[in-house]
Amino acid sequence: MTIIATQALTKTYGGGVTALSDLTVEVDAGVIGLVGANGAGKSTFIKIMLGLIAPSSGGVRVFDTDPVTETDKVRARVGYMPENDCLPPDVSASEFVTHVGRLSGLPKTAARERASEALRHVGLYEERYRQIGGYSTGMKQRVKLAQALVHDPDLLLLDEPTNGLDPAGRDAMLTLVHRIGTEFGISVVVCSHLLGEVERICDSLIAIEGGRLLRADRISSMTAASDVLAVEVSEGTDELAEVLRGLGFAVTPEGRLLLVPLESDAAYDRILQAVAELDLPLHRLDQRRHRVAELFTTKETADV
Amino acid sequence: MSEAGVIHDIGYQRYQGPRLGRGAVLGALYTHGLRAAFGLGRSAKSKIFPWGVAGIVLLIAVINAGVRSQTGTWLFDYYQLDNTMSWLVIFFVAIVAPELVSRDIRSGVLPLYFSRPLRAADYVIAKVAALVTAVWLLLGVPQFVMFLTGAFTTKTGMKGVWHELGLLIPGWGYSLLWALIFTSISLLIASLTGKRAFAAGGIVAVFLMTAPVVGVLSVLPSDTAHHLAGLASPIALINGVEIWLRNRTDLGLDIGDLGPIYGIEAFCLIAACLLLLLARYRKVASL
Amino acid sequence: MSVVELQNVSRWYGNVVAVNDISMTLQPGVTGLLGPNGAGKTTVLHMMAGFLSPSRGTVTIDGKPTWRNPSIYRSLGLVAEREAVHGFLTAREFVTACAKMQKLPDPTAAATRALEMVEMTDAQDRRIETFSKGMRQRARVAGALVHEPQVLLLDEPFNGMDPRQRMHMMDLLHALGDQGHTILFSSHILEEVEQLSGLVQVIVAGRLAASGDYRRIRRLMTNRPHVFALQSSDDRRLAVALIGEKSVSGVEIEPGGLTVRASDYGSFTRALPRIALGEGIRLRRLLPSDESLESVFSYLLEA
Repeated sequence: MTIIATQALTKTYGGGVTALSDLTVEVDAGVIGLVGANGAGKSTFIKIMLGLIAPSSGGVRVFDTDPVTETDKVRARVGYMPENDCLPPDVSASEFVTHVGRLSGLPKTAARERASEALRHVGLYEERYRQIGGYSTGMKQRVKLAQALVHDPDLLLLDEPTNGLDPAGRDAMLTLVHRIGTEFGISVVVCSHLLGEVERICDSLIAIEGGRLLRADRISSMTAASDVLAVEVSEGTDELAEVLRGLGFAVTPEGRLLLVPLESDAAYDRILQAVAELDLPLHRLDQRRHRVAELFTTKETADV
Repeated sequence: MSEAGVIHDIGYQRYQGPRLGRGAVLGALYTHGLRAAFGLGRSAKSKIFPWGVAGIVLLIAVINAGVRSQTGTWLFDYYQLDNTMSWLVIFFVAIVAPELVSRDIRSGVLPLYFSRPLRAADYVIAKVAALVTAVWLLLGVPQFVMFLTGAFTTKTGMKGVWHELGLLIPGWGYSLLWALIFTSISLLIASLTGKRAFAAGGIVAVFLMTAPVVGVLSVLPSDTAHHLAGLASPIALINGVEIWLRNRTDLGLDIGDLGPIYGIEAFCLIAACLLLLLARYRKVASL
Repeated sequence: MSVVELQNVSRWYGNVVAVNDISMTLQPGVTGLLGPNGAGKTTVLHMMAGFLSPSRGTVTIDGKPTWRNPSIYRSLGLVAEREAVHGFLTAREFVTACAKMQKLPDPTAAATRALEMVEMTDAQDRRIETFSKGMRQRARVAGALVHEPQVLLLDEPFNGMDPRQRMHMMDLLHALGDQGHTILFSSHILEEVEQLSGLVQVIVAGRLAASGDYRRIRRLMTNRPHVFALQSSDDRRLAVALIGEKSVSGVEIEPGGLTVRASDYGSFTRALPRIALGEGIRLRRLLPSDESLESVFSYLLEA
C-alpha cells in the first residue's frame, strides 16, 4: 500500500533557495528512512506532508489525500515527533500528553486513557507524574514519541529520534521504533543522519541530496550481497594471503580483511582448508554486503 | 474460577472512538488557557498572583458593598470599580498574558500544536477568549457581589432588584470592553517574545508610557487636542467610550462631541491587535 | 609531536565528582572519547583545553600544564559542543578573525588554507546564520585549525552533519592524525567512532573504564564468552560437534543459524575450521556478534 506519493514536488523559498526540486517518489507502508542534507530538504518535506506549507509546484498525497486541501484529514492520521526541544518544563508527562491528545480531537476520557497507554508503550512508568523539566534526554524523547502516538496515527514522522541519546538510549529508542513499525502496524518515517541506524531498522530508504532525490529503494536491495568473500584471521593475515594466491585466488587486502572473489561455492571449502592447514584463528568469514553509505561516496565503489 | 491461566492482551490498541472536530479542539485549548490563567492544574506558585489580584478586587468590592449596605450609597459604582482597578488589571494581564502565550513560544511547543487539526486562527481565538474571560471574571464577579448587596438591600422589592440589574448589565458590558482592549494589547505584546519577564515589562511599559501622553495633550491650548487626548492611552480610551455612550461628564475627561471617534478607535484597536496576532501566528504555524 | 597527558586527575564540584582519578596518555593519531551522558567527557576535554583546572592531578601537553597557560593555545585547537558563533559573520570573516586572535603573521592566507581543508571554499562568503548545522560545525573546525595546532580536541564534532559531510570530516581527521597531530574527539555515535578510530578512551561515571584498541579490549574481557553467529551447510550436526569442544560454552540453534559462545577465543577460532572440515560441513558464515564497539561499550558499562 502506498502511503506517501509525490509527483515532481518542488519548493522554493523567496530569495532563490530551493529546498526541494522535482521530487518524485512513492513510499510503501513499513519503516522508511529519510536520509540526507541537514536543514532544507528533509524538514521541508515533513512540513509539506503535514500541510504546514504548500509546494511551489508538483503534488503530494498522503494516504491518497492532499495535505494542502484536506489538511485536517491528513493530520488526524499522522503523528509528528520534532527534532528540537518542544516540551513545556512545568507540566507532567501524563498531563501534557493528555492535553495534546485532546488537541487532536480525542474526547476527554479517551485522551486520558490513550495518553496513559502511550506512555506505557514508550516505557515511562512512574516518571510520568513528575514534571518534564526534570527528565533526562532519553525520557524527553520518549514523551515526544508518546504525544505522536496518542491519537493513534497511521503514520509517524520522527525527526532524528535518537538525537542526544547515549548508546544505550539510542538502542532502546531504535528497538521501540522498530517495534512500532512492525508490531503496532503503524508506518514510520525516520529522518536520520546515521546510516547504521537506518540499515538496522528501516525497510526502505529515501535519500535526498540538495533537494533532489538521490535514491529511493528498499534497504534489502541496497545491502545485497556482493560476490566477494571477506576473510579475517586474528593473526597470520599475510601468510594466508600468500597461500590463497598460491591457490589461484585474487586476494585484495583491506585493513584486517582479505577480500576474495566468490566464483563458486567451492571457494568456501578451499579457504577454510587453507586456514586450518596454517592453524590460524578464524575470526570472520562472510559474504560482503553493500552498505547504504556507498550511496554517498563520490566515486561509485564496485562490488565491495 | 477457571484453572487455565490467561495472558491478557495489553498490546497496542487502535483507537476506534469518535474524533471531535475543530470546535472541540478549540474548546479544549480555551479551557486549558482559562485554567492556566488562574494557575489551576499547576503548581501553587502560579496561583498566588492571579488569585491574589482577584482577591484584592473582590475585597474592594466587598468593602464597597459594605458601605452601600450601611449608608445606602456606593463608594464607587460599577463603572468606577473598573476604573479604580485599572492598575490591578494591568498587572493581571501583564502576568497572565505571558503565561498564556509566551510560555508556549519559549518551550517550543507550537510545532506540536500546529501539526494537529489546529489552525493559527483557532489558537488565537482560544487564547483571546481565555484571557477575555479571565479579565471579565476578574471584574465581573466583584460587580456581581456589588449587585447582590444592592439587590438585597433594596427597599423597593423586585422593582429595586430589576433596577439594580439594569445597572449591572451595562456594568458587565463595560467590563467586557476592558477585557477586550486589555486582552488584545497584552496578548499581542506577549506573543512577540518567549521570555515572560520581557513580555510583562513590555505590557506594563505600554500602559505606563501612554498615560503621560494623555496628560500632555490635555493641557495643550487646542480644543481638539484636548478632546482627543484620551485616544492616546487605552484606559483613557475606554473612559472616553464610556463617556460617549453614557453621557457622563464626571470622569475627568472632556471629549466634547468627539465621542464616536473614541468608539471607532476602540473597535479598530481591538481589531488591529487581533489581526496582527493572527498574522503572527500564521507565520509561526508554518514552523 | 604532542603528547597529552592526564595524571591522577580528579575534578569535583562540591559533592559532585565529575572526574575521578583519571590517568591517560594521548599519542599522535585519532582517539575517541566515549561514555554515557554525564560521564565526564566534556569535563575532561575542557580540562585538556585549559578551561578548567583539575581539582587534583595534572593535565599537561608535552609536559606543560594547560591551566593558566595561554601559550598552550598556539598548539591547541578546541571545537566545543555548544558554541555560539556570530551569525552575521561570513565563514571567511570568522576564520580570519580566529587567525587574527592567534596573532598569525598572515591571517588571510591561513584562513584560506583552513577553509580549503574543510572544503568550504565555495561557501566561505555566506553568512554563518544561513548555514545548516553541519556547515556551521565545519566553519568552527576551520576556526580551530587555522593556526595548525598540534593537538585538536573536538566535542561531538559530527553533530548535525549529513553522511557526506561526515565522511569528509572523518577523512580530514584521519589525514591529520596520519600527519602526526594528536586528535581527541568525543561522540555518542559508536558507528562513527568505529569508522574513525580503533583507539578509544572510555569514561564511565567519572572513571576511566578502558583505553586502547577496542578489539584488544574485547579480548581482555575473558570472563565474557565471545559470541559468534554461524551459518553452515548442516547447522545441527555442526552444533553437536561444537558442543563437544572444550572452548565452547554454549550453542543455540536458531532458524537463521547457530549462535556459539566461546569461553576461549584463541582455541575456538583455531578449532572451528578443523571441526567443520572434519565433519565435512561447509562453513558459509562466521561473524563475531559482540566485537563491535557497541558491545564492548555496553560490557564496560556493566562492569
